[in-house]
Amino acid sequence: MNEWMQQHPASIGGLVLWAIGLLWLMPSGKPGKSRPGLPGIILAAAGVLAFCLGAGRGIDTLQSEVMFWTFALTALLCAALMITSKNPVYGALWFALATLGTCGLFMLQSAPFLAAATIIVYAGAVIVTFLFVIMLAQQSGAAGYDRRAQLVVPAVLSSFVLLGVVVQQLQTNPLKVERPGIVAAEKQSTTKGSATSPPPLPSPDAPIPPPPPVIPAMLSKATPETPVGSMKGLGRSLFGDYLFAVELAGTILLVASIGAIAIAPRREEGAL
Amino acid sequence: MPELLITIITIAIVVGAIPGVCNYLILLERKLSAWMQDRVGPNRVGPLGLLQPLADGVKLLLKEEVIPPHVDRVLFLIAPGISVFTALLAFAVVPFGPVGVDGAPGFLRFIIAPGIDIGLVFIFAVGSLAVYGIVLGGWASNNKYSALGALRASAQVVSYEIPLGMSVLGIALMSGTVNLEEIMQQQIAGGFAAWNIWFQPLAALLFFTASLAEANRLPFDLAECEQELVGGWHTEYSALKWALFFLGEYTHMITISFLTSILFLGGWHLPGIAEPDSAYPLAWLVKMLVLMGKAFFFICMMIMLRWTIPRFRFDQLMELAWRVMIPLSLANLLMVMFVRHFELSNWWMLPGSAALFAAWGMISASLREAERRARPGYVRRKKVEAHHDGHAAGHAAAH
Repeated sequence: MNEWMQQHPASIGGLVLWAIGLLWLMPSGKPGKSRPGLPGIILAAAGVLAFCLGAGRGIDTLQSEVMFWTFALTALLCAALMITSKNPVYGALWFALATLGTCGLFMLQSAPFLAAATIIVYAGAVIVTFLFVIMLAQQSGAAGYDRRAQLVVPAVLSSFVLLGVVVQQLQTNPLKVERPGIVAAEKQSTTKGSATSPPPLPSPDAPIPPPPPVIPAMLSKATPETPVGSMKGLGRSLFGDYLFAVELAGTILLVASIGAIAIAPRREEGAL
Repeated sequence: MPELLITIITIAIVVGAIPGVCNYLILLERKLSAWMQDRVGPNRVGPLGLLQPLADGVKLLLKEEVIPPHVDRVLFLIAPGISVFTALLAFAVVPFGPVGVDGAPGFLRFIIAPGIDIGLVFIFAVGSLAVYGIVLGGWASNNKYSALGALRASAQVVSYEIPLGMSVLGIALMSGTVNLEEIMQQQIAGGFAAWNIWFQPLAALLFFTASLAEANRLPFDLAECEQELVGGWHTEYSALKWALFFLGEYTHMITISFLTSILFLGGWHLPGIAEPDSAYPLAWLVKMLVLMGKAFFFICMMIMLRWTIPRFRFDQLMELAWRVMIPLSLANLLMVMFVRHFELSNWWMLPGSAALFAAWGMISASLREAERRARPGYVRRKKVEAHHDGHAAGHAAAH
């Protein structure tokens, strides 16, 4: 941890600046005394820039580079605007745009079904329901408690600490996640490559490098008929490898919806 | 020809054709309604009123654009744009002709984005965004009537998305894909008896009804319900911004009609005329016209439905979605799973659908009767004499 912090001062500084900027921008709810937004915007932007440069990643082609940054910056910017906008309707809209940016990233990771499903569930249903509630409940302008951010410092602190830990973990021990479809193609190319140039034998003096941690090969492998991004591959993985998790999630959701129906007021009790 | 150029040409064709087609669909709507109500309809501009859409278009372009001072300007301006954008984007994965058939000129591909593995899911994803146009337009207008219309639209769309998606899951299970081109190809390869309508008639009905609700067409246009809400969510809109909302609605209609023909009616297949091995000159044109003819049939049906069925009340609208369409589409999905699991013949689904429909009708009728009985002040209907029974019961129901 310490070593990593010394190696990546830009990432740490960026995170701190970013957090302070967001804290500055949070709506305080006092109509007369709203802070000027510019210092916060500058701080947050500088923080994001430093963080991205420090934690930068290598992507191969220009095309995917441009698309990655477009989607990632859209998602980040819209998420920041979502939590800093004073109007709850605008907040919901920025949330929708942030979801769309994230779905673009899913697309780049060749997970089109995940992207489409996220759009349907979040942008299409959840946020529309938010808008419904906001418009139904507050037709005479936003209520006071909706115009100021709640629990600002703990929220920002915990989320940025979490972000820092995730980035630190990813950078110090990168996971070699086997991505079936891509691995199959890579294996073919490496076998071809190794036929022409065999890997050099390790000299006996050199310390043996620890093998990179590999996720256990319990996942079902993709075949040429069911490549990694396809619905078939996803379905096989969900209902084969992760069946227990899927069923558990389904049960929890069922319990939650039964609970929601149970605690909702009956019509005789004065519901709509 | 390079892929990019073909894509650009296809996009240009679609984007160029759809506004014109929408214009003439409005004329068709007016003419059909006139015909149904024994009127003449528009007949002043050009022969048979055929130039009326042009006159309307020029009128909408030149009208004064009113932006009331009390609106939220940004959202007020982008709401019509969202409406058109999502409607056009959904059309990107819809094949509008014989995709991949020999003989068609090289620059015609009949689909903007071919080979999208998640075609159907993509359409639902983009379609679920279409409601933002209405919700934002209604909210930004800062007007009670508009806000009420937007409220109704959001509740309606969220409810009807569920039966819409669930009704086609059966087809996805049957054909093992949600790629629209593949679903169409499988039906075409199987011939007339492989059209999905034979196995999923109930799903076709549910899909068509739910998509009418998604498109805000009557009898589901509670969001613009004129006798209660002036104009609903578009009360404050005028001129071209108003027209853009309707461009979005009619584009949505076109997409739905194509989808229904592709999913349930075998795409461009028509026995004896457009078979996969028909090789007469211009066969591709005939196939394209067959698909468009099917879509045209559904568009006419939507228009005639609009002028036949009165608008629902809001509680009826919600009841239809939650008490009828969602359970029915779930039961339909279960039936498909059952047939697929036990490897029965697909033909079992035809009587199965009919049985589901009948059973649900009976359950609904008895539920309604039970509800009536539970009401305070319920007076038990008089028993009628045995030989008058059927007749009198019919009368009682009519009252």
